Amino acid sequence: MSALVTRSCATSKVGGARRATNPLCLPSVVLGSRTASLRRQHQQQKHDVRANASVFVVNTPGGGHAVIGFHLAKQLAEQNHDVTIMVPGDEGSDKMNKEPFSRFDELRSMGVKTVWGSTSDCGACASGSYDVVVDNNGKDLDTCQPVIDWAVGQGAKQFLYVSSAGIYKPSVTPPHVEGDPVKESASHVSVENYLRSASVEESIFRPQYITGDANNKDCEEWFFDRIARGRPVPIPGDGMATTNVAQVEDMAKMMTLAVENDQAHGGLFNCVGDRGVTLNGLVELAAEAAGVNMADVKIINYDPEEVGVEGKKAFPFRYTYHFFSEPRAAVAKLGMTYERTLGDALKERWAAYKASGRAEKDMSFEMDDKIISAMTEKVAA
Amino acid sequence: MVTSVTNGMFARSARAGARRARLAPRMMAATTSPKKILMLGGTRFIGVYLARLLVDEGHEVTLMTRGKSPVTTMIPDDTPESYEEYAKSVNHIAVDRKDAGAVESKLRGASFDVVYDINAREKEDILPILSSLPNLDQYILCSSAGVYKKSDIMPHCEVDETDPQSRHKGKLNMEAHLESCGANFTSVRPVYIYGPLNYNPVEEWFFHRIASGRPIPVPGNGKQITQLGHVKDLATAFVKCLGNEKARNQIYNISGERVVTFDGIAKACALAAGAPEPELVHFDAADYDFGGKKAFPMRDQHFFTSVEKAMEDLDWKPEFDLVAGLTDSYQKDFGRGTFRKAADFTVDDMILDKLKVMT
Repeated sequence: MSALVTRSCATSKVGGARRATNPLCLPSVVLGSRTASLRRQHQQQKHDVRANASVFVVNTPGGGHAVIGFHLAKQLAEQNHDVTIMVPGDEGSDKMNKEPFSRFDELRSMGVKTVWGSTSDCGACASGSYDVVVDNNGKDLDTCQPVIDWAVGQGAKQFLYVSSAGIYKPSVTPPHVEGDPVKESASHVSVENYLRSASVEESIFRPQYITGDANNKDCEEWFFDRIARGRPVPIPGDGMATTNVAQVEDMAKMMTLAVENDQAHGGLFNCVGDRGVTLNGLVELAAEAAGVNMADVKIINYDPEEVGVEGKKAFPFRYTYHFFSEPRAAVAKLGMTYERTLGDALKERWAAYKASGRAEKDMSFEMDDKIISAMTEKVAA
Repeated sequence: MVTSVTNGMFARSARAGARRARLAPRMMAATTSPKKILMLGGTRFIGVYLARLLVDEGHEVTLMTRGKSPVTTMIPDDTPESYEEYAKSVNHIAVDRKDAGAVESKLRGASFDVVYDINAREKEDILPILSSLPNLDQYILCSSAGVYKKSDIMPHCEVDETDPQSRHKGKLNMEAHLESCGANFTSVRPVYIYGPLNYNPVEEWFFHRIASGRPIPVPGNGKQITQLGHVKDLATAFVKCLGNEKARNQIYNISGERVVTFDGIAKACALAAGAPEPELVHFDAADYDFGGKKAFPMRDQHFFTSVEKAMEDLDWKPEFDLVAGLTDSYQKDFGRGTFRKAADFTVDDMILDKLKVMT
């Protein structure tokens, strides 16, 4: 009979052997099941990046997805691809003063070509033909169809489209998984359908919320603004709604894994973080990132209707149901592994937040104050 | 007849519906020369299905129980012939596992290859087994996802922090002991298990209320997320661990591929029972004193796991999605009017009375 020897494997610790050292007792999710060390097989079959695919990225001039294209371009350039990033609109527009556009020289120094043009005529600012076209811009068919048609016409082998996880239908069986029903009226859906029928291998990515360097849109800042000032954090609902916030460099990594990868063809990928987190949990992660003891942070859970505020305006994330997706397809088909946990990502963001001086800025918390006073009255009553 | 019911609220997993129940599902014969298997417990629920699968695979199965309840039980899928065939294929050792001395004298010198430990609760339960069977190839333990520490970051994955104070700390102690003593072990952590013959009032609790046409009281806002797994899928996963090198010293969460809110379970049970969408009554548990009685069968928190590690390593995939699985349980058990516990609506009535007063 075989000797019974425990294989020493850092990844198979019996539960309990790995304990959180932080006073908040948040689980030590440094190595979640989707991180590198447990995806042994996939690591060995890691996508062998071919050098020098020519990639044309159409990048939205504003809004939360802009940052995805920035990091995607960087990572593709690092992988020796020939990258052009086109921003619809004017190079001189005010929007270009914001991140990530204000940092486009970082892209240029890596050899990325940055151009401005129009989705109705990508060819006008293209030079040569492209193997891979990425649309990280359009939300509807009017905007995307010309891009798709041009890509096909000039012989692209692959088309990546950044759609949205917001199109999933709310469900009582979370999480949103690739293939689940979507709201057919959502404009992204018509783009996805058109793309699937086009003569090009497509991969569709559906992001949720995004955090990271060079972000065009506030995400964690909402939490930091309150925690930095020692203010209570009003969270609508009971705080248990589960959501997903992804770190943008991991998102870009996921997309690079699709480039020139047969496994990505025809694929639909939730471009999200590896774990869900409750809204109250986000407050805890933000506090931990800020080095603030949770005992000193007050979460106020409230009913927006009762208080008389619009939840949408008072809080940046969906909270009425579990807007919670998982990246199952990317993990299974692309061998996706995450470089960092959300907790770690937020620590980086806190450092940037402090360095920016935003913590000292004067800010109005009108809606917060309304909520707080309504809830204080409620408790006193 | 399996009704493949679905409605817009329930996302179907890619392999829709349940396969027609089989006594001997086709199994990847990845593992297996026939093994001599000792199953501890195994006569109530999980083991009933697991032992059958192992026998069908050609293994020699011995059940070790006190002998107080019948060693073999018919399952709804059985015919008299298939049951007789199964019943004569299993062996039995009668001993109380709490009596370490008796266990050792019964097991000393026995040549079992693999132990499936279904009913162990404390580290002390497994010590005499390990000492009596020093040449085991593999010790497969039925642990519990109840060991995970409550978290706001979900799902629970096998590497996550566990709670040494949890009600299931005995399971943790067993896992830790197995790891430290150098045994080749595999530990399976199920979440809520359901299916025909379930003796835990999981689906039964809902089916009672649906059968009586009563509203279903749900704590909080009903959006707490949890996870149910069909017992047959759990049994299949256990079999996939057998002799599997990838499973060496590994822990696996085993449950359904989808998770579900509390409201969702109530709705799914109604669908399974072919009943109209139930009336859900949300209540705040803090407003009541139930005197220690349970108001709801699930713990009032998010409690769910990722089963991806098992799917990857064991090449296992749950056959049943929630509605199909609950339908299976309903049609083969609770829908036939068979229940383990009689319905008790005392707590429900407390809730309904109070809320009526308030409205």
